[in-house]
Amino acid sequence: MTKLNKKHLLVSGLASLLVLSACGGETNEEVDSSAEADTSSDSQVLNVQVDVEVASMDPQIATDGTSFEVIANTIDGLYQVDADGNPIPALAETTDKSEDGLTYTFKIREDAEWTNGEPVTAQDFVYSWRRLANPETGSEYGYIMGIAGLENANEVLAGEKAPEELGVTALDEKTLEVKLANPVPYFESLMSFISFYPLNEEFMNEVGDQYGTSPDTLLANGAFEITSYEPAATTIQLEKNESYYDAESIELEGMKYQVIKDSQQAMLSYQNGDLDLVTLAGEQVDLFKDDPEFVNTQAGYLWYISPNTLVEGLENENLRKALAMSFDKEQIAETVLKDGSSAADYVIPEGLATGPDGKDFRETADTYLAYDPEAATEAFEVAKEETGQDTFTFGLLVEDTESAINVSQVLKSQIEDTLDGVTIEIEQMPKKTRLDRMKQGDYDLGLTRWGPDYADPMTYLDLWVTDGSNNDGSWSNEEYDEIVFSAIDGDLSLDTEARWEALKEAEAIIMDEAGVLPVYQKGNAVMMQDNVSGVDFHAVGLSRVYKNVVKE
Amino acid sequence: MDKTLDHPINPIDDFTFIGADNISQIDEVYEEDSFWKQLVKRVMKNKGSIFGFISITLIIFMALIGPMISGYEFDEQVAGHESMAPRIPILENFGIFDGTETLKTSTGELEVNKYEVIEGGEEVYHWFGTDVLGRDLFTRTWEGTRISLYIALVAVVVDVLIGMTYGMVSGYYGGRIDNIMQRSVEVLNGIPNLVVVTLLIIILKPGLMSITLAIAITGWIGMSRVARASMLKLKESEYVLAARTMGAKDLTIMYKEILPNIFSQLLIMSMFSIPNAIFTEAFLAFVGIGIPVPMASLGSLISENFKSLTTHFYMIVPPVVVLALLMLSFNLLADGLRDALDPTMKEV
Amino acid sequence: MKKYVLKRVLMSVVTLMVIVLVLFTLMQLLPGSPFNDERLSIEQQQVLMTKYGLNDPIPVQFFRYVKNMLTGDFGKSYTISKDTDVSLLLQNRLPISLLLGGISIALGSVVGLFLGIAAALKHNSLLDSAATFLSVVGVSIPSYVFALGLSYYFGFQLGWFPMLYSVSDGLLAFALPAVALSMTVMATVARFTRTEMIEVLSSDYIQLVESKGVSGGHLIFKHALRNASISIITILGPLVVSLMTGSLVVEKIFSIPGIGQLMVQAIQSNDYNVILALAFVYSALYIFVMLGVDIMYGVLDPRIRLAKEDSNG
Repeated sequence: MTKLNKKHLLVSGLASLLVLSACGGETNEEVDSSAEADTSSDSQVLNVQVDVEVASMDPQIATDGTSFEVIANTIDGLYQVDADGNPIPALAETTDKSEDGLTYTFKIREDAEWTNGEPVTAQDFVYSWRRLANPETGSEYGYIMGIAGLENANEVLAGEKAPEELGVTALDEKTLEVKLANPVPYFESLMSFISFYPLNEEFMNEVGDQYGTSPDTLLANGAFEITSYEPAATTIQLEKNESYYDAESIELEGMKYQVIKDSQQAMLSYQNGDLDLVTLAGEQVDLFKDDPEFVNTQAGYLWYISPNTLVEGLENENLRKALAMSFDKEQIAETVLKDGSSAADYVIPEGLATGPDGKDFRETADTYLAYDPEAATEAFEVAKEETGQDTFTFGLLVEDTESAINVSQVLKSQIEDTLDGVTIEIEQMPKKTRLDRMKQGDYDLGLTRWGPDYADPMTYLDLWVTDGSNNDGSWSNEEYDEIVFSAIDGDLSLDTEARWEALKEAEAIIMDEAGVLPVYQKGNAVMMQDNVSGVDFHAVGLSRVYKNVVKE
Repeated sequence: MDKTLDHPINPIDDFTFIGADNISQIDEVYEEDSFWKQLVKRVMKNKGSIFGFISITLIIFMALIGPMISGYEFDEQVAGHESMAPRIPILENFGIFDGTETLKTSTGELEVNKYEVIEGGEEVYHWFGTDVLGRDLFTRTWEGTRISLYIALVAVVVDVLIGMTYGMVSGYYGGRIDNIMQRSVEVLNGIPNLVVVTLLIIILKPGLMSITLAIAITGWIGMSRVARASMLKLKESEYVLAARTMGAKDLTIMYKEILPNIFSQLLIMSMFSIPNAIFTEAFLAFVGIGIPVPMASLGSLISENFKSLTTHFYMIVPPVVVLALLMLSFNLLADGLRDALDPTMKEV
Repeated sequence: MKKYVLKRVLMSVVTLMVIVLVLFTLMQLLPGSPFNDERLSIEQQQVLMTKYGLNDPIPVQFFRYVKNMLTGDFGKSYTISKDTDVSLLLQNRLPISLLLGGISIALGSVVGLFLGIAAALKHNSLLDSAATFLSVVGVSIPSYVFALGLSYYFGFQLGWFPMLYSVSDGLLAFALPAVALSMTVMATVARFTRTEMIEVLSSDYIQLVESKGVSGGHLIFKHALRNASISIITILGPLVVSLMTGSLVVEKIFSIPGIGQLMVQAIQSNDYNVILALAFVYSALYIFVMLGVDIMYGVLDPRIRLAKEDSNG
């Protein structure tokens, strides 16, 4: 090889370092040209921060709050919720409920249409509901069809009957008839739940499994339509849908979602004016809680410790009670979380459900298992005697999020302080692994949470029935089972008032035995620019609704 | 030439026979002795390496006694002591480290001193402040330093035991052996560290053992590559050929002839593996599968307190400073050693 | 030379195949199925497992995976972006991470190279100390601390650069993350260059060249740097990949939709296909870089080339 050649190769060798950047550069330009120039902050475009990506734009597949929020911006269901959380009609022009509460007939708005010009029809609902119930779809929310009480729902879910046998039919283009197996008091509230939103069958067949992967494979009938999106995108842009039936009352010209996982970074962007709505975490609340732009909202999520009653020691009721009362929930809520979370001396969250008396469930129900170190020690002494054991060591499974880890450390420290002889070993892991370990019953204590799917105490209470698929701790009580099953489709389901009282009783039963150890009810601390108003925050289902937003 | 003068001349030995054995023996003793003496001398000449050595010693010392002298346990959460700024006796009288902290709230700056607010706060001292759960950061920092030092140790041991040997053997024998060994490394290394380490820790139980294992499995590859590259460069050199011609065994050539000549590079590489290992640990902490809470390492402390960077800036300072100092010291010491060890640099 | 390159390429392909096998095996050991969401019933989970072929015998799953992969089909994401082709997820993210990594490594190497050379030339001077200090700081402070610092001062306080990634900002959006990421590269390259250059500069042949009257840039770049670069190149390979993986924290801070973020998310949600696909991409990238390094080796150091071509050396 000659000298000249070597020199040439050296140069090309060093140059190859730059190859990576060069080929990347071309791609970037492509992205550039396809994206629309946005000068967002000044116009009627709302900039919202979320901390996770949208997992799916498919109403029957989506499960998380962020996906729900974005879907609900683009698709309307039969019902929606108003600012106070009450269900009000959306696509349903009229609703007829039969005397026995078993048949609902919905008339769909004449002026409702998809962004491809097709009208929204009853068939769209039939299609999407069958899709939801079909086990092949693999919808995590498939079971909610059973909760809604549709005829044959559970059989279809189990694969025993064809989806066509589901109790939903299109009487004509705009009339939808729903048949229930038993009366469901919260049926209308459920109709605002995302999983029940319609899809256009023809369009779905056209795009196939590419649905929801780009703006072209999405269809809207709601207030906004998507103009920029890709799977797991970090920015999503929406534009006002001019063909929306209620387009006149939508003030915003568009929305832009930005995924920012680091809350400090989000806050800096907020202060920069790039964002209109961000969620605060932990320490930052201290800095902004006096700000007029600071908003505290209650979320329906309940965080609790699930004790595995099959583990030696935890089968003892007194030990569970001792554990439940041994940590200071107030302190956890106020000094660790700081985001408006509140101590939970209950399992049915505040603001979840309104009873037949028009009052929130919590207003008339008791509280249980409050922090009481003395009572805890007493119970612990009894437990020691009953089990004949003086020391206990339990693992505590937690997922690896900042708040869960912080809370678990306080729990460990306080439980160990209060109950001399108990050792807690924290095991942190990704959420999926935690869920897996808990499902298999491979744990002692697990810090877990449950978000409400619909505005009724049953969304929590049916978790802990004997052999329930989410009853990880295998806690079991016959009386409790009886109440819950009866309230779902037995005698109690026919008498709303008696049902309501019975549900309170059920809560009392599980709390008295410390079947689960409630810790706190999640709150959210958000910052909202003062020129923005009209964002509705909800504890159940959709956490934020933007239809009434005005940006001045 | 001077050394013969150093050697005391004993008149009684005047007439003894000076055999070849005798002379070579003297040379050998002299060489061994002066090598280490020179090393120490040269290292001592280098201010940087003295600094490095002293500060490593100091850090090790603090890691040993720090958690004992603060009066707090590393996992002790004092209720009410959350997020307190540093307060140090004596210094507080000069208006610094007196526990005052300026919070930049959106409604204006707010000066707070939590020591004045809490009950009995007058008597409380947190030298580095406390974290969001009310744990003493001084204790946690030094407790964390222990873990990080342990991981540094693991990294160096693994580097030397596995990486160096592997690389040298591979480079020395070349041919088929080299091929097989390099392909194996490539397979191992072709799987990104991130994947190996994370999968490993998910499969095993998270904890110090798993992290050690993860570092042991992936940490030595860089070293082996450098060792191999250096070996490739040197094994064709004349002095190695000469040694081989004279019948030296492979092991002798590798460890006696070549190793001293590539030692400086290996030393630097192993010094680099320390931050790498510590960062691997910190990365794991960041992803949430590092040292299990409430234990602490410098990495996990940085990740933890990073979340309060814009609110309580003081929290992240101690672990970052200690970590940076530790790295700086290792590097400076390595430099000093290198200057002292590398014969080709003596004239520069 | 041609034969050697060909052999190396062939070996790389074999290596990649082995990696896929190893990855696949490892993945079988990962706890938890992707369908363990709290709201799915056992029956539904089974339906899903069958739908995605996870109940098939493992060899069947493996060969299906390899076959699909060769046709560019990485399967579907189970959890991150439900029912979406993994290739679709990668398609949008890979270029962004590559660009970021490319800029960082280019920036870091160039600055590091100059710092290292400068330090070596002015050995034991103030400049040397400054360069050493800078490089030590570079390796001693995690890149996410740099990232936040940069974003706070240049993005927030001064407002010179965008704090968050946005397509409309083009390359400017990469300014801060690239600088934050390149610190490690810069520091490592600078240190290594310095060491190598000092050694090379003191060697006999450079002194010979020097005594012949060659000096300045010509001496450094033509004679000294080429020899020093052999060792410098060895560290570039690992740097490239550590940069890619290390970038995920920076990607997170600047909201950059790259593959690093995706990776951790996939691991945390047991999204098997995404993990496999990303691991494959990382591995392929790495092997490609190492292949390049090995070939450059041969080009730069004739001794190695000769040794490889002719074992009698």
